[in-house]
Amino acid sequence: MTVYETDVPGVGKKFEVEIGGDERLVILLHHDGKREIFHKADSDADAERLFTLQGRLAREVGAILQGAYFQPVETDEVEVPLGEAIIEWIDVDETAELVDQTLGDANLRQRTGASIVAIQRGSDTVPNPGPDETIAAGDILVTLGTREELTKLEGLVEADDS
Amino acid sequence: MAELLLEVGIALTAVALAGALANRVGLSVIPAYIVVGILVGPNPPSSVLGISLNLVSDSEFIQVLAELGIVFLLFFLGLEFSVDQLLRDRGRISAAGGVDFAVNFGLGVAIGLLFGWTLLETLFLAGVVYISSSAVITKSLIEEGWIANDESGPILGTLVFEDILIAVYLAVLAAVAGGGDLESAALSVGTAFLFLGGLTAVAWYGSGWLDRFFRTSSDELFILRVVGVTTLVAGAALALGVSEAVAAFFLGTGISQTAHVERIEHIVAPARDIFAAVFFFSIGLTTDVTLIAGVAALLAVAVVATTVGKFLSGTFSGRFYDLDRRRSLRVGLGLVPRGEFSLVIATLAAGIGTGRLASVLPAFTVGYVLVMSVLGSVLIQQADTITDALGASSG
Repeated sequence: MTVYETDVPGVGKKFEVEIGGDERLVILLHHDGKREIFHKADSDADAERLFTLQGRLAREVGAILQGAYFQPVETDEVEVPLGEAIIEWIDVDETAELVDQTLGDANLRQRTGASIVAIQRGSDTVPNPGPDETIAAGDILVTLGTREELTKLEGLVEADDS
Repeated sequence: MAELLLEVGIALTAVALAGALANRVGLSVIPAYIVVGILVGPNPPSSVLGISLNLVSDSEFIQVLAELGIVFLLFFLGLEFSVDQLLRDRGRISAAGGVDFAVNFGLGVAIGLLFGWTLLETLFLAGVVYISSSAVITKSLIEEGWIANDESGPILGTLVFEDILIAVYLAVLAAVAGGGDLESAALSVGTAFLFLGGLTAVAWYGSGWLDRFFRTSSDELFILRVVGVTTLVAGAALALGVSEAVAAFFLGTGISQTAHVERIEHIVAPARDIFAAVFFFSIGLTTDVTLIAGVAALLAVAVVATTVGKFLSGTFSGRFYDLDRRRSLRVGLGLVPRGEFSLVIATLAAGIGTGRLASVLPAFTVGYVLVMSVLGSVLIQQADTITDALGASSG
């Protein structure tokens, strides 16, 4: 596959791509961000303008073609379904009763039924925390359990109003 | 102040309307700007149905804006001038460009001498009828889709060759025409080459410095710097008797080596568009159409001869690019339009102001450009009909 690149003075750049057989695709990049796509049945044929894309749309289509199209997801709740159980990220408020307790002392598995799979602390992650791991204010607990179990756990790490 | 402001407002609005109309009809905006300048200018036509059309005078303000139009048109030309492409393709470009120059500049000289013009006047005339309009042609190429075909190669290549030739031509002519005898002429040419050589050297070796100078995250500061430096360099050139257009061109080529090209395209191009539009408008403003009647014979001869000339030289150039007959004919038709550069040359001539250069050549050029820009665009649009008629159908 050869790509021929030429400057078009006053306009931008032109790329001619052989796409198999004798067919060619001609892509014209304008300085102002406009992109025009032409198709040539063979190298001798007249180019036929397929479509024109303006700036932002051109970039998005380009991202799709690249397989890198990214649509932002709502990050308030990130749920990973595992049968009845789900994984949830739960914030530990600084006034929660669990702050400064070790996991062993907190005994969360027995009390709520949910398990702590990992703890995210700032930019670090503690995977599979042991019973000696102390829960700090501002930690994000990565938890696994059913909705009821996680609701119970959330009650323990919420702000303590009592 | 109120009067001047009003006049400028009328000028700009008229230009906007003219451009919109041209777009509607599918023709280039350049002739539209000129015509509207003729209409609202101090020259005839002065009134329509009793309503005065003498709305805008050729104020110094408009003159300066027009000058900036020339400066920035050439600046952007230099900016987009691809030295790499020129070097890569130099064999074919020189061949096509050489044929184009020999035929068409030669024709221009012949016509000038035939009509009894002096040597200097003839050289100006030859320049006016030789150079094709990159603006009109590139726009047509994109509209017709030719830009993606093989015929765009020789067309754009010839235009690039013409750019360099015109830069040299303007530099020499401006210097020569300014001086009186041979000695002062030689001095002027020497100064010109020194100034331009210095500019090129700064651009070439100082591209790192240039790059740093224009580096700022603020768009506002960026455009101020670009516009400021360009205008300053152009003004300095003019003060030294060097063509400000060529100085701007060389500055543009220098900056084309920095990383700022795309940003300049984005941010400074709108300013260029305003100035350029006023330039074309001011051409119409200062043109007395009654003078065109006086050069009708010259105009007719020039239009016919140079259209045929470009057609033949262009078609022949297709050979250097191994094009088939149909595409070669398209090259011939594609190079016919004339426009902005012919007007720049005419403005330079008017500035010198001796003999026919003062008003005859400018009037001729306006008539010539009005005809050739429209004729050229139509020829390109009707190319398939023409090539079929000439027996070169696709296949």
